[in-house]
Amino acid sequence: MTPRVRIAVFALAVLCLLPAFAHVAWHMPPFGAHPLPYGDAINAAGTRERHVTNMISAVNFDYRGFDTLGEEFMLLCAVTGTSILLRGNRGERVDAPQQVPGRPIRDRSDGVVLIARLIGPVTILFGLYVILHAMTTPGGGFQGGVIVASGTLLVFLGEGYRGWRRLMRSKLLDGCEGLGATLYALCGFASMLAGLPFLQNMLPLGEVKDLFSGGLMLLENLGVGMAVAGGFAVLFLEFLEETRVASDGDEEESGG
Amino acid sequence: MSLLISLLFLLVAATGTGVALSRVPRRQVMAMAANGLSLTLLFMALQAPDVAFSELTVGTAALPLLFLIVLASVRADGAAKRPAGKATEAEPEPSPTPGAGAPP
Repeated sequence: MTPRVRIAVFALAVLCLLPAFAHVAWHMPPFGAHPLPYGDAINAAGTRERHVTNMISAVNFDYRGFDTLGEEFMLLCAVTGTSILLRGNRGERVDAPQQVPGRPIRDRSDGVVLIARLIGPVTILFGLYVILHAMTTPGGGFQGGVIVASGTLLVFLGEGYRGWRRLMRSKLLDGCEGLGATLYALCGFASMLAGLPFLQNMLPLGEVKDLFSGGLMLLENLGVGMAVAGGFAVLFLEFLEETRVASDGDEEESGG
Repeated sequence: MSLLISLLFLLVAATGTGVALSRVPRRQVMAMAANGLSLTLLFMALQAPDVAFSELTVGTAALPLLFLIVLASVRADGAAKRPAGKATEAEPEPSPTPGAGAPP
């Protein structure tokens, strides 16, 4: 298909779709319009009913906690699938993986090492802070988990691959991911053991604006934080392993 | 709509166009990260800090990194499989496009 034909097809498609697009765009509510009663209802009732000030956490972990369980297992499935595809028989040796021949690895500049060493631990700490303060301030298990996992990448920038691999034990990360998802599911079954519906918040709710308010949401948030931090770290580990040459125990690729 | 939000919308549009116009994959990844960053600012200005957090961590840090690793891995595989003595540049450099949004 030559570029000319491609552009002609594109123009034809634009002509066909433009009226519908214009119709929808014309009838959209104005910018900033707020016709959604659900958010207002949550904002009005959330603090009173659930004793938390971050309504997004209240929706994620309590009002619609079952949806989050589904998302939790979607993440687990995605990470598991990626690991199955990418992970060979590599072991836990951190000195084994070598750089691919023909791919020069340049020395890092002192400035990069300094900045990564300064910012890396602070970033990980900030991620833990975001996980911990899910009930009171914006953020939560998912955001904090990704921040923690990204912070470990600064360790990679600062310490190089081997130092990073010493930190990233894949068994530990796998456990983190699996246990986090399990913890979330167990929270639901704990409610059922108490004779309540699945994921019903049955723990004492605590005081508003207190760090440990929200009852069962705290445990669910912890589970999400563990699962997301572990899951993203596993992803980073499996992807970065791909840039290394296969070690002795690794299965050989066929052909090539 | 305030001036700040209008400017941020323009910034998102400009960086998004930069992503579409970048032809070198490595630059496109950086342009994508820049787009994620401007989206983060927009979400902040629209008072959605949770979404801004997610966009910042996933769109600006995690996703570009995975893309960069894939590019590095593809290039490493290509270098290993190419017969020795034929060490050509792995990616041909097309004509520089405007709005790439990343240094070479």
